[in-house]
Amino acid sequence: MQKDMKISVFEVVGSPLCVASNDGQKVYERLATAFHAGRRVALSFHNATILTSAFLNAAIGQLYGTFSEEQIRSLLKVEDVEPDDLPLLKRVVDTAKLYFKDPQRFDQAVRETLEDENDDT
Amino acid sequence: MRFALPAIRHDQTSFEALARLHAQTKKCWFDDVEIDMGATTWFEADMCAAFGAILYSLGKNLNTVALTNIPPKVGDILSRNGFLSHYGRVRISDRWRTTISYQRFDVKDDRYFSSYIEDELIHRSEMPEMSPGLLKKFRESIFEIFSNAVWHSRTEMGIFSCGQFFPTRNRIEFTVADLGVGIRQNIRDHIGLDLSPEEAIVWATTGNSTTKRGNVPGGLGLKLLGEFIDLNNGCLQIVSDAGYWHRENKGICTVRLSHPFPGTVINIEINTADTNSYSLTSELNAEDIF
Repeated sequence: MQKDMKISVFEVVGSPLCVASNDGQKVYERLATAFHAGRRVALSFHNATILTSAFLNAAIGQLYGTFSEEQIRSLLKVEDVEPDDLPLLKRVVDTAKLYFKDPQRFDQAVRETLEDENDDT
Repeated sequence: MRFALPAIRHDQTSFEALARLHAQTKKCWFDDVEIDMGATTWFEADMCAAFGAILYSLGKNLNTVALTNIPPKVGDILSRNGFLSHYGRVRISDRWRTTISYQRFDVKDDRYFSSYIEDELIHRSEMPEMSPGLLKKFRESIFEIFSNAVWHSRTEMGIFSCGQFFPTRNRIEFTVADLGVGIRQNIRDHIGLDLSPEEAIVWATTGNSTTKRGNVPGGLGLKLLGEFIDLNNGCLQIVSDAGYWHRENKGICTVRLSHPFPGTVINIEINTADTNSYSLTSELNAEDIF
């Protein structure tokens, strides 16, 4: 059994401001490499003071395009996330799951949303 | 080529004027372009971002841009935030310390942008007092706007930003503009949906829209912004291509501009007297995320 590993978002980004998509990409690359090696990862957000959806989409959302929900659930856990950042993280994850599950249906749902909006205005 | 610029405020008319400036000058090449500001009786400082973007594109086409007949009051505003330094004037001291400098960033300047926001907005004693929750949401919103511009514009000409705060009115106004492909083209290229310019903004700010690029889902930023503005009683305006979109008091209005803006402008107005807690709104647990 291989030891769990820890990745510090602050260490990867080098700043408490986790806002840029390309910084999220660096986190994603470390996570993906670890997952391909079958390693479980604790992703620590210690000292990360600002998170954006762009960063989280790149770091975590895109995992759902490569790994199954089951794999992600079993290999990844997050630590030290500020409680008021959890809703954003959850939203990014839910959007990614929806998108990667069935992109065409997702686009269709978006089209329908737009039609509804137009009907309302 | 001479263009008479009217007063520039945060409204559709002013965005129309800037789009008209672009329409009338976009074919200029090695030309002398005079922007006559004699009738510019007012200029909202943060709108320098949108104005500066258009002037930058003129410079890129090797035109010589001159701003003439600037009324003293407007000249004072545009000199204090550093805008006129780009057009031959010396920056003057911001004695009220309420300006957020005009800046242009390259898309890879996200670190530089972060420092700018921290220095110009967060670590300033003159900032209107905000609750910690609001300040955090505000910072997130600004970064969402910048990330959105970086992600969606595909611009090589940079991202322009400027702001102003009003301690007595409890307001901060901040604008980010880019000279990118615009929301409509982005949706067309990535989703294959052919929408009108204003429909495209509605699409990008609604529901589960995402203009996924590569393997990275996206598209949450503008929706989060809209939700925050509703709670904050602020105001959000987006201009992209010929679409104008305005969200205030939980209501949205859209208008087709007579000329397209050559990119996207996002203007946010924050109510700094907001006392909403913005704390945890659900009982989420870190173990329930995935």
